[in-house]
Amino acid sequence: MWRQRDAPATHGGPTNETIFLIDDDISVREGLAALIESMDLPVRAFGSATEFLGAALMEAEGCIVLDVDMPGMNGLDLQREMNAAGIPLPIIFLTGHGDIPMTVQALKAGAVHFLTKPVQEDDLSAAIRQALETGRQVRSERAEVRTLRQRFDSLAPRERQVMRLVASGRLNKQIAYELGTSERTIKLYRGQVMRKMCADSLADLVKQAQKLNVT
Amino acid sequence: MKDEQLRQTGIGAVGDVPWGTHFFLFHETNQDLIDACIPYFQAGLETQELCIWAIADPLTEEEVRYCLKHAIPGFEDHFEKRNIEIVRGREWYMTGDDLDLEKVTRGWKQKMDRALNGGYAGLRLSADTAWLDKRDWKAFCEYEKEVNDSIVDAPMLALCTYPLPGSAAAEILDVTRTHQFALARRNKQWEVVETSELKQAKAEILRLNNNLERRVMERTSELMAANEELRRQMEERQRAEEALRTSQAELAHVTRVTAMGELAASIVHEVTQPLTGIVTNGNACLHWLAGAPPNVEKARGAVERIIRDSNRASEVIHDIRSLVKKTPPHREDVDLNDLIYRTLALANGEMTRDQVELQTELAVGLPSVLGDRVQLQQVLLNLIMNAIESMRSISGRRLLMIRSEMRGPESVTVSVRDSGVGIDPQKAAHLFDAFFTSKPQGMGMGLSICRNIISAHGGQLSNVTSAGPGATFEFTLPVQVVKSENVDVATA
Repeated sequence: MWRQRDAPATHGGPTNETIFLIDDDISVREGLAALIESMDLPVRAFGSATEFLGAALMEAEGCIVLDVDMPGMNGLDLQREMNAAGIPLPIIFLTGHGDIPMTVQALKAGAVHFLTKPVQEDDLSAAIRQALETGRQVRSERAEVRTLRQRFDSLAPRERQVMRLVASGRLNKQIAYELGTSERTIKLYRGQVMRKMCADSLADLVKQAQKLNVT
Repeated sequence: MKDEQLRQTGIGAVGDVPWGTHFFLFHETNQDLIDACIPYFQAGLETQELCIWAIADPLTEEEVRYCLKHAIPGFEDHFEKRNIEIVRGREWYMTGDDLDLEKVTRGWKQKMDRALNGGYAGLRLSADTAWLDKRDWKAFCEYEKEVNDSIVDAPMLALCTYPLPGSAAAEILDVTRTHQFALARRNKQWEVVETSELKQAKAEILRLNNNLERRVMERTSELMAANEELRRQMEERQRAEEALRTSQAELAHVTRVTAMGELAASIVHEVTQPLTGIVTNGNACLHWLAGAPPNVEKARGAVERIIRDSNRASEVIHDIRSLVKKTPPHREDVDLNDLIYRTLALANGEMTRDQVELQTELAVGLPSVLGDRVQLQQVLLNLIMNAIESMRSISGRRLLMIRSEMRGPESVTVSVRDSGVGIDPQKAAHLFDAFFTSKPQGMGMGLSICRNIISAHGGQLSNVTSAGPGATFEFTLPVQVVKSENVDVATA
C-alpha cells in the first residue's frame, strides 16, 4: 500500500505534481480518483479531453491517466494535441479488452505506460510512480536547456561564433584564420565563453552546444 | 470390300466391280476371249442379270453356245428363258454396211428396259468389235465415250473386247481412253491395266478417303478434347460447389462466432467499467480505513460508489437478459431428421477440412416436434461444432455419429457422439454452467445456452458418459410441446 511519496523531485523542494485523470465513464473516473487520492496524491479529474485542454495547463507537472477510448476527442487525439503543443506530461493509458488497435497506435506515438481495466491498485501505483519519474526527468532536462539557452543568449555575437567553432572541434589557430584574427584574441574569446556558459571543461562546453543544438 | 453394289465379274484379275463399270479386254485368240467371257456370263447368270453377248467373226453362235453349255451348268435352261442372248455384233451395230449407233443405243435401251421390267438385277453385256471397219473407228470411239458416261448410273456392266492382232497402237490408246480399265492377256495371265482417269479417280477416292479419315480423326480428337473440356468443367464445377459449400459453412460459423464475439466484447466492456469502479473504490476505501485516524467520511463515499457501480453492473446483465427475452417465441413443426441434414450441410466444410467421418442413424418416420427451428438448429450446430473441435487434436480416427430415435412413445432423442478428447470427469459437473469453458477462446456460453433452449422446449440436454473415447451429448424433446410456453433462453 502506498503510504508516502517515494522518489523526491530531482530539483528538490515541494512539488506541484498532480495526477490528471481523464475518463468519460463516471464509475472509472470516480473510482480511480478516489484511489489516487487515498494514496495521498493530488488528483484532478476530467470527464473529457476537451475539458482537460480547457484548463490550460501548459506549465503543469505530474502525469496524466487517460482513457484511450472516449467519445469525441479520444486518448490518441489528446496525445497528438499534447505532443504538438509541447506539453511534457507523461501519459498513462487506460485500455480495455477491445482497444488493442488503439493501444498499438498509442505505443507508436511514444506512449510507455499502460493500465488495463479493471485496474489493479499495485499496477496503478507503479505506473504513476514511473510516469512521475519520467516527468521529472523531462522537466529537469527542459530546465537545464532553458538555463543554457539564457547563458547562450548572453554571449556576444563573436563569442557565439567562437563557441560554435570550438564545439565543432576546430583548433584556436584554425578559428583565428577563419575569423581573420589572431590566435591570442581567440583564446580571450574562448575564456569568456567558458566563463559565461559556466562550463568547467571543453567537454562540458561541447555537451552544452549539443543540448542547445548550436554545433 | 464386299458391298451390295458390287457385281462379280467372274474374271479373277478383275474381281468385283460396281454397276456402271465399262471395261475392255484385248484378246490375241478366240480362246482368250472365250476364257474371259464364259466366267463373266456365268457370274451374270448366277446373279440374275440379263446377259447379252454380241459376238463377232470368226466366232459363231453355235460355237459360243457349245462352249457356254459345257462350262455353265443349266445353261440351256437360261438360254431357253432368254436370260442370256447371243447376238451377232455386225447385225447389232450395223444397218447394211453402215455403223448405226442410234440403232445400237436404242437396242441397248430396249435390253435395259427388258432387264428392269423382267425382274433382273441388271444388264451384263459383252461386245466384240472385230467386225468394226476402220473408217468407223472415230465415230465408234465417240460412241464408247458416251457409253462410258451413260453407263455410270445404270445397273449395267459392259465388257468390250478387241482383237489385239488387228489393233494399231493408236487404236489401243483410243480404247484405253474410252474405258475405265483394260484387261490384257499377257504371259497367259489376265492383267488389269488401269486407265489414267481411273487411277486419278482412285487416287482421288484414296485422297478423299484419307481426307475423310483425317477429318474423322480431327473431329474425333476435337470431340475428345471437348469431352475432356467438359469433364474438366464438370470437375471445376464440382470443386466450385465444394468451395461454395465450404464457404457457406464457414460463413455460418464465422457469423455465429462473430455474433458471439461482438456480444462478448460488448458485455466485457459494459461490465468492466463498473467493475473498475468497484475495485478502485474498494481499494481506496481500505486506504482510508487504514489511516490513523481512519477517514470514515471518505470511506463511506467510496462504499456508496461501490454500491452504485454494482447496481450498474447488474443493470447491464439485466439488459442482456431482456435483450434475449425480446426474441419472439416461434413455434412450428420441426422435422428433426431434416434439421440434422441441414445442420450437417452447414458443418460440412469443417468436417471435410478436419477429415471427420460421419455416421448417421436416423430413425425412419420420426414424428416432428413443435419448436423454434432456428434455436434447435443452434443447439445441433453447437453440439456438432463442439464434437468436431474435440477431435481436432487427436491423431486417430475422427468419427462423428448422429442418431435420432424414439425411446418412448412421446419423445424423440437426438444424440451427437464424437471420438475426440472426451470430458474430464472432474469438469463434467460444470459442463452446462455459464462461462465454463475448456477452450482457450471459448466464451463458456454454448452448452449453457443450448441447455436453456432445450429446457424451454420442454426437453432435456445431457452429457451421457459412454464407454470408449470421446463424448456423447443427447437431447430429448417431447413430440407434443405445450404451445403457450415461451422460449426464454436466459432464464429457463
